[in-house]
Formats: sequence, structure tokens, C-alpha cells
Amino acid sequence: MVASAGTRPGWSRRAQYGLFFGFVATVATVIVGLLMLILSLAAPQSYAAVRGAALDFVSPVSNALNEVATTTTGLVSGAGDYWNAARQNGDLKKQRTAMLRRMIEAKAILLENQELKRALALRERDRRTVATGRVVGSSFTSPRRFAILSVGKSDGVEVGMPVRAADGLIGRVIDAGSYASRVLLVSDRANIVPARLVRGGLPVIATGRGDGTIDVRPLEVGRNPFRKNDIIVTSGTGGLYPPLWPIARIVRLDDDGAIALPLADPGQISFALVEPPFEPTAIAEAARPEEAR
Amino acid sequence: MTRSALTPSRGSSLTRGPQPAALAIPAASVLLATALSALPIVSNHGWWPDTGLLMLIAWRLLRADAWPAWLAAPLGLVHDLMTGAPIGLSVALWPAFMLAFDIIDRRTMWRDYWIEWVLAAIFIGLFVIAQWRVAAWDGAPVHFASVAPAILIGIVCFPIAAFVAARLDRWRLGR
Repeated sequence: MVASAGTRPGWSRRAQYGLFFGFVATVATVIVGLLMLILSLAAPQSYAAVRGAALDFVSPVSNALNEVATTTTGLVSGAGDYWNAARQNGDLKKQRTAMLRRMIEAKAILLENQELKRALALRERDRRTVATGRVVGSSFTSPRRFAILSVGKSDGVEVGMPVRAADGLIGRVIDAGSYASRVLLVSDRANIVPARLVRGGLPVIATGRGDGTIDVRPLEVGRNPFRKNDIIVTSGTGGLYPPLWPIARIVRLDDDGAIALPLADPGQISFALVEPPFEPTAIAEAARPEEAR
Repeated sequence: MTRSALTPSRGSSLTRGPQPAALAIPAASVLLATALSALPIVSNHGWWPDTGLLMLIAWRLLRADAWPAWLAAPLGLVHDLMTGAPIGLSVALWPAFMLAFDIIDRRTMWRDYWIEWVLAAIFIGLFVIAQWRVAAWDGAPVHFASVAPAILIGIVCFPIAAFVAARLDRWRLGR
């Protein structure tokens, strides 16, 4: 096949001008696009309203289809549960009795903790969940890790609020529309969470790797403190994420740190809870580096 | 024989003509492909093919006059808004791709299926690399190895987009 030669104007002056102005218009749009890109990198907040509106436009589709997808995957995994059911049952019963024992211990520790806190007169603000939503979508074509949540400003969600599931931390809200919001997941490279190791309480830094895993480094340089299957939790430093939220489990060690898998997989969880920031001043603090970036 | 040809019958090649909105169908199909990013897919990797980009390239390779080149900018704006990419990335890149395709159209003497696939592969790669660099400037410098699969998957998925564009073109022109 011969290449499509494009439009050749011939001798018509009118057609020549038409082509030329079309070319100028296209170059102009490229320049406008570059300026918009620079603005969105330098001052991401300037597009907040537009991005929120776009989210509201997209989310009804995601919401409706999400039900279908959940039902389908539920059918498949539901059928799988019947396989080898008797042995699973035995295992689960054994686990349950072990869990019950641990739970009673935990309750005792909680009680003791409350008494100790009262003795120290340590005050903690009343924390209530702002909104509960479903994860209805994600940025599955980009190197960034975002999820779309089915709650927005009309439910009280604001930019900067931390989001968690029952299993652990998910991330924080970066765009909020009226009915949907976009969450920066803990596995995104730009999400840096101050954390600590449950075993020993050593302070560490958790950074996303962009592929669903998390890079964990100790704050102090020294011997690699991690072990496989260690759990890391938020430390509350910085005031954005409340302390003691589970984040991830270590799966592999490397030279001076480790690679961890988030405990709350956004693809598996059914509900996500949006919580107020740990310290109210944290929203202003969180907004500042965004603008400086 | 002649009479039977003159009586209007549904579906015969004589009475078939272009669709009423034939001119808008290419751009509309790109918008629709972009809207696929609203699907409730929750992935830990960003490796899914960028359907909007694939449709754009497929149409442009099929026809130089699918849309005026500047129209790629508004299409790119919708793409940026829907996928959550930094606004301006596709607005700048898509019309730039159209200009590049214009130059390529002038320079290539022959075109066959393989050359089109190679061209598409180059532009898919350019877009993913640009997206990766912009993400790095935006504070998320990931390793190239974690975006390379996205290029490969996009290249492998391109023939599907080319097929859809070709079928849509035949349908809209009533051939």
C-alpha cells in the first residue's frame, strides 16, 4: 500500500493558507499543552476544581460496574472455597481458638493501657470516621498509584485526609470531587510514610515503589534491623497519619532496608474509611510541600 | 434484474451510504476508548494498555484526515482528566504526535502492516516514557523496569485497536 500522502493543496492559495493555519493552530495547542503541564507540575492545586469535577463525571460508571465485577469475582472465589472444605474447617477452628486467646490478652492490655493513660493524664481527641466508601477504580495505565474512592466532599472528605481499611493504611486523599475522591496509595513513589517496626519500635521510613510494594529503610544507619514477616505501623510523626495503623509486612530484605507488601490490598478490600488527620494542623503542613514541589 | 436493484432494500450495498455522524465517529471512538479508564479495575501495576492512546494512533495511521490535527489537544485534555495524569501531558503530546505523523506520511514511500506496527510501537513507547519522566518530576521517580512492561503490553494490544478502527471506518463510510 502506498502511504497516504496527506493533503496536498496544489496551486489553490486558499487551500495552502488553510493547511498553514491548521499547522499553526496545532503548534499553538502543543505550546498551550506544555504550559498547562508546567503549571500542573509547579502548582497542582490550581487544577483542584477541574480534577474534582472530572472525578464526579467518571465515578458513576465505576460505581455501577464495580458491583458487577465484585459479584463475578465473588462467584469464582466462592466456588474455590468449597474445595478441600473439611481440612480448611479444621484449620480455621484451630486458628479461631488461638485468636480468642490472643484477643483476651489484648483486651487485658487495652484495659491496662487505658488505666496507665489516665494515670498520666494523656489526652486524646475524639476520633470519628469521616466517611466510608468503596475503592471503585485505580490509575491502571500510569506509573503513579492512585485509587478512586466512592465518597467525596458531600460526605465531608477533604484533600489531605488519611484513608484506611480494616487491614491497614491505604493512603491519603489528594483530589476531592463532590461524590468521589482520588487517593494517593501507600505504594505510590511520592507517598512517604513515617513508620516504626512493631518488634522493637524502631523508627523507619516507608516509601512506595510504584508497583504495589513498599520500600522500608531505617532512620538510623546501621545494621539491617528487618526480619521477614515483620509488621510496620504508622508512627504518627508529622501529624497526618494517626499512630499504630498497620502498613505493611516485610517480604524481602535488601542491602540496607527491606521490601514490604501493604497489608491492605486496594484490589481486595471492600470498604475504605476516610479519617480526619491526626493533628488538625497537619492539613496545612501537608498542603505546603505540594505547593513547593 | 434492474427493477429489483431499484427497489430499496435494507442492507443492500446500493442503498448504503455514510453514517449521519460519519465525521465525528473517529474522535468519538477515541473519547469512548479513553472512557474505558473508568472501568473498576484496581491494579497494583500501571501496566494496562492506554486504550485512548491506542485508538488515537490506530485512527491516525489509518487516515490522515480522521480529524484536524489540533483536535488531538482537546481529546488529550479529556484523556488527562479521566486518567488522572498531570493535566497538560496528553494536551501537549497528542497534537505533537499528529505533527510527527504528518512528517512521517511525507517521508515514507511505502506502508504495510509491519511498518504501521513499528510506528505505533515507537509512539506508544514515547508516550509511556514521557509519562514516566513527568511522574519523576512530580515526585515519583520509579525505576524504568517498572514501566517497561506497559510499553510491551501497549504494543501487543495495538493490533486490536487497529482492527477496531478499521471496522469502524468501514461502518461509518457505509462500505
